[in-house]
Amino acid sequence: MSGLWLVAKREISTQVRTRAFVISLVISAVLVGGIAFAPKLFGGPDEYNLGRVGGQELPLQSLAPDAKITWKAFPDEKAATAAVLDGDVDVAVVDSARVLTNGEIDSELGLLLQSANREAQIGAAGVTVTPLQMQSVGADTRYEGARRGISTVLVLLLFFMIIGSVMIVAMGVVEEKGSRIVEILLISVRPWQLLGGKIFGLGVVGFINLAVVLAAGLTGAFLSGFSADFPPGMAGIVVSALLWWVLGYAFFAALAGSLASLVSRQEEVGNVLQPMMLLFMISYGVSFFASASPDHPVAEILSFVPPFSSMVMPVRVAASEVALWEILLSGALMVVAVAAVLMMGGRIYERAVLRTGKRLKITEVLRTK
Amino acid sequence: MLEIRGLRKTFGAGKVALDGVSFAVPAGQMFGFVGANGAGKTTTMRIVMKVLTADEGEVLWNGRPLTFTERRTFGYMPEERGLYQKMRVGEQIDYFGRLHGMDAAAVVKAREALVERLGLAARVGDAVESLSLGNQQRVQLAVALIHDPELLILDEPFSGLDPIAVDALAEVLHERARGGVPVIFSSHQLELVERLCDAVGIVSAGRMVASGTVDELRDAEARRLRVVVRDAKPGWADGLAGELSKDGDRDVLTVAGGDDQAVLRKAAEAGHVEFFGVERPTLVEIFREAVA
Repeated sequence: MSGLWLVAKREISTQVRTRAFVISLVISAVLVGGIAFAPKLFGGPDEYNLGRVGGQELPLQSLAPDAKITWKAFPDEKAATAAVLDGDVDVAVVDSARVLTNGEIDSELGLLLQSANREAQIGAAGVTVTPLQMQSVGADTRYEGARRGISTVLVLLLFFMIIGSVMIVAMGVVEEKGSRIVEILLISVRPWQLLGGKIFGLGVVGFINLAVVLAAGLTGAFLSGFSADFPPGMAGIVVSALLWWVLGYAFFAALAGSLASLVSRQEEVGNVLQPMMLLFMISYGVSFFASASPDHPVAEILSFVPPFSSMVMPVRVAASEVALWEILLSGALMVVAVAAVLMMGGRIYERAVLRTGKRLKITEVLRTK
Repeated sequence: MLEIRGLRKTFGAGKVALDGVSFAVPAGQMFGFVGANGAGKTTTMRIVMKVLTADEGEVLWNGRPLTFTERRTFGYMPEERGLYQKMRVGEQIDYFGRLHGMDAAAVVKAREALVERLGLAARVGDAVESLSLGNQQRVQLAVALIHDPELLILDEPFSGLDPIAVDALAEVLHERARGGVPVIFSSHQLELVERLCDAVGIVSAGRMVASGTVDELRDAEARRLRVVVRDAKPGWADGLAGELSKDGDRDVLTVAGGDDQAVLRKAAEAGHVEFFGVERPTLVEIFREAVA
């Protein structure tokens, strides 16, 4: 076990000191934090600057409680016209009768002004209007937009964070095989310790990376106030993303490590990883689909089938409500799959990693002892 | 004591690499492994270190089949050098020491002594890739030596080293051998092997064609007399089974075995004897003879 720990420790300390690691961590944290902060920059409550010449301020605030409304009084129509043309105010109301606009008026503002005007005149006539009460009899759709946004970000995050760490595992295996360091390493450690230590060590680095990026996203959301729109169970979504990343990473890293041990040169890595990449891209495609249609039968079924489940299930959890038993069942199946691929991958690696030279075939590796 | 018994190895396409190699290296012996390129030296060493598996034969350590735990105490320098290029020299040596089971404090102590001996002290903080090939070789040696191995197997450890480094390495190896460690190394520098080794094994085409101490190998060769006669009468050596050559006004006769006193009398009658003696073959000559 100490061999595995030493190998893992070397991977961690080597990896976190590379410039590539630091740069990619900063960029992804800023990117995700920025996305979470974006609603504040682009959305935000409506804001109206209105001018007035004579008359009364219309009761707009009661009609649009979220909007920020500022009134500005002008001495005469000429001054108001100049302000409208300069863009100092959006529109100007003259004597509670006419509205000066620069071209066509913003339709929402137009409706607001008409309604406010109507209400003011009816109120002046001594009649009170009872507003209509809205009542939804369908599903709770309040969080649909937020859920969709969160799950889309999650798909991309899982995609980059899994494949990024997995490729480092594959390249590390080939580095050690191609340079024959493995011949000295295997005097003192067992093959499973070497591969296991590499997967574990780079997994720790990847996990930290993902955790930092998620933390940056949550911080951005809290700063921008977007967190107020978070669906219930947000903590669960985050924890589930981290746990599913661990399972998905372990599966694909074991696969990549064993496939990479078949070749001796970095140029051949891409080729030899093709079957794994296909599996991974399908997982990605389905999880992307699931972020938009989490309750579609395809998404539901594949959220139980390893290794697709490692990306589809966390996305379904974020995009809609998933029963606990579903998550547990899917997780158990994935754990079994990870154990199987670790055992099988370890066997391929053990038999292939000392056979430098031309690319080996899996069948040939498994046949020889 | 390391014993190698009847190793056979055939690679794909029917290429026979080893055809029954056997030899033994007792504690404290410096064993030089020589042979032409492709003779089977590297394959033998790789089988001992379990990088390759033999088709037949066995490797015994102190009389019993070698296990992983025992091999873990060995030091190995492979033919194709392998180091983490981007890792620092000191960290790299330490890493291998730790993998061999040393604790952190012991590893630092051993590394400091070793880099001093191998002339690497100033480069400890540098990445391996920034070192010259000769210095990378020294790091590779340090990696093989850091854990105070109980057996050393070095494939061409001297190739590419300058004379100063050769002397430093020779001294380190001698020191380990004196401490009771069997040291096996291969080399094409036969003079060096002759100078350093207690015993030599010559492999050719997958077989051990000669092995033993350098003196034993010499004695196994037929004794050769060399006689140099000045101003000799022509035809004086006609009755002697030897090879005669001319060097100016000197006749040089080489005779394999036979009655040396009879040869001396004939030479003395023929002219002025300038040299008469038994020639000891060099390792180069023994090697040529053995692989011919």
